[in-house]
Amino acid sequence: MEAGKKEYSVADLEDNTNAIIIEIRGGKKAAKRLADLGLKPGAEVRAIRQALFSGPVQIEVNGSRLVLGRGLAEKIIVEQK
Amino acid sequence: MTEEKKINIVLAGQGNSGKSTIFNYLTGLHQHIGNWPGKTIEKLEGTLYYKGYTVDVLDLPGIYSLTTYSVEEKISREYIISQKPDFVINIIDSTNLERSLIFTLQLLELQCPVIIALNMVDLAKKKGITIDSHKFQEIINVPVIRTVASRGFGLTDLIDKAIEVKDQKREFRTRLYGKEIEKGISELSGLLREIDLPYPQRWTAIKLLEKDSEITTMVRNLNPGILDTAGKLCASLEEMHGHDSSLIIADERSHHASQISREIVNVLPHRKATLSDRLDAVTTHKVSGYLVMILILGGMFMTVFSLGNWLSGLFDSLFASWHQWWTENAGITFLASIGWAAIESILALVQIALPYILPFYIFLYILEDWGYIARISFLMDNLMHKMGIHGKGCISFIIGFGCNVPGCLSCRIMETKRERFITAVLVTFIPCSAVSVIIFGLVGKYVGLLWAFGLYVFAMALILLIGKISSKLVPGEPVELIMPMPDYKTPHVATILSQTWEALKEFIFIAAPIVIISGVIIQAINLAGWMPAISDFISPVTVAWLGLPAVTGILLIFGVLRKELILVMLAAFLGTTNFSEALSSQQMMTLAVVSMFYVPCVATISVLWKDYGWKRAMAVCLIEIVFAIILAGIVSRLLNFVF
Repeated sequence: MEAGKKEYSVADLEDNTNAIIIEIRGGKKAAKRLADLGLKPGAEVRAIRQALFSGPVQIEVNGSRLVLGRGLAEKIIVEQK
Repeated sequence: MTEEKKINIVLAGQGNSGKSTIFNYLTGLHQHIGNWPGKTIEKLEGTLYYKGYTVDVLDLPGIYSLTTYSVEEKISREYIISQKPDFVINIIDSTNLERSLIFTLQLLELQCPVIIALNMVDLAKKKGITIDSHKFQEIINVPVIRTVASRGFGLTDLIDKAIEVKDQKREFRTRLYGKEIEKGISELSGLLREIDLPYPQRWTAIKLLEKDSEITTMVRNLNPGILDTAGKLCASLEEMHGHDSSLIIADERSHHASQISREIVNVLPHRKATLSDRLDAVTTHKVSGYLVMILILGGMFMTVFSLGNWLSGLFDSLFASWHQWWTENAGITFLASIGWAAIESILALVQIALPYILPFYIFLYILEDWGYIARISFLMDNLMHKMGIHGKGCISFIIGFGCNVPGCLSCRIMETKRERFITAVLVTFIPCSAVSVIIFGLVGKYVGLLWAFGLYVFAMALILLIGKISSKLVPGEPVELIMPMPDYKTPHVATILSQTWEALKEFIFIAAPIVIISGVIIQAINLAGWMPAISDFISPVTVAWLGLPAVTGILLIFGVLRKELILVMLAAFLGTTNFSEALSSQQMMTLAVVSMFYVPCVATISVLWKDYGWKRAMAVCLIEIVFAIILAGIVSRLLNFVF
């Protein structure tokens, strides 16, 4: 890994921490689907917990709980609060 | 002459909004409802007679976004636009207001008359959320009614409101997007006025800017020139914002939803962790979550199977006495035997449905209504991903252990056709209760329990492998799991019972015709005396390749009807239930492996046929037959080194 600022995705967040979404990577379709659930740049997310062996990620956004597959969670780049 | 007073209502809302409960209350019709996101797939209709009105109510699938994502959403959108219902009742989950609002805004863009049911206000209150419904009504300019569907609260108000405003002239308040987007919308709307589309122009223009594939195709067919303009507008928007135009619009919409939500929602801070939160923490925990899951599922299977075996035994003796009565009264003729074959097919279906599937479904729906099924999907997503599908598929697997038929039916909760098909095929490899009878009655009893469990492990490993292969072979992209995590709630008995009843009915109706027909055909072949010829014909496979007695050819043919027949008829042919007298351990293992995988039973085939077409159903059968025969032959040779 090269030196420099490390990027965090929702999947990297510690349990029970809040973060702000700065970017959604990946396909249009996925980004659209996420946006329809309120997951868009500027939104605040809270990491709840993850499943065993780097499984899916449980988060809270706008007061509702969501489960996201790992691959999808990794596309949501965040900035820790 | 009095004019018939009719109102036509469509219910629309996201998964878990309580939509199905409202539907049941209004129409008294039963249908599948559940705490299992986005599950209602086929639309359901019902009628309510109220204050002299005939109110037709239609339930549409749970929708996350009105832009075509999956088949269900498409049906809903098409229905709302083309059928022009008098009202769309938009059911909003008050505990998830902001998310629901995005969908509400899309509905309003469709310019259909909307009444909002602000549902589950009681649960919201428990979570410290209060919503100003008057202010809400003012902002969006459509009626807002507070409801608690689970207790029937506010539901008549909904219909009263519909009757009240039915003949009033409604104005649609247009919600404006950003300046550049609005410019694009008005330019496109102007062009769209020239062509004949069933949709509102403004909505169509928005969809073109969102690059909705279906609307784009529709417009292309009518006037490809409009698409050039749309393309240019999208490109200029993208240049300005640096995002895809579909995202810019979704962004603005969700921004608008947050704005509304901020104005009308008040959340008490620092609320205590609810019981649901604490339960959630335990049941989705990295360690305790899996332990609880093993306990719950293990307990469920053990209860269902011990109860089922006992009940099934009772049915056995009952049906045996009926058979006796039949032969005494109908005689032993060709026709009488054929008649009994038909009756027996039905009885056998009952014998699986009542002792096994009924208790299984009851357990399953308790877990579902409680909110636990979503937790299982969360815990198992990782493993399911290795098979190219996501966590929700796990539910179909669990059901498949009881019976493959409802297992395959439940694959409908998967988002795409590809996912649905892969999951259904994998479910056919799951050892159902009938296969378990063979595994334990043959291998468990005469070879050893460890070998029996070994067969389960073998089946699971095989499913993993086949999943991996088929996710590569079946065209299309795998879909990532996106699932709302519902709060735990007290299971609602009436809901569970009506779901169980519906599921059981579906099982019988789908399975019965093909089970009876094939039962009669096979019995006719048998009575005509062709069975020995057939078993001779396939003896190169059964005897030479698999090393089994020739009679197994007949067993395997009957086994297509229902797999436990393999064991039942084996006992009949041998004249004893002590199978070790006639078969070696190696032969019993081989027979078990063939029985497990060689073909789905006819009832399962009929589901595959119904949901995926006869071509795919037949292809699955053929491939599985060839596969199982090759596999069992290899297993038989390998076992040479063991026994």
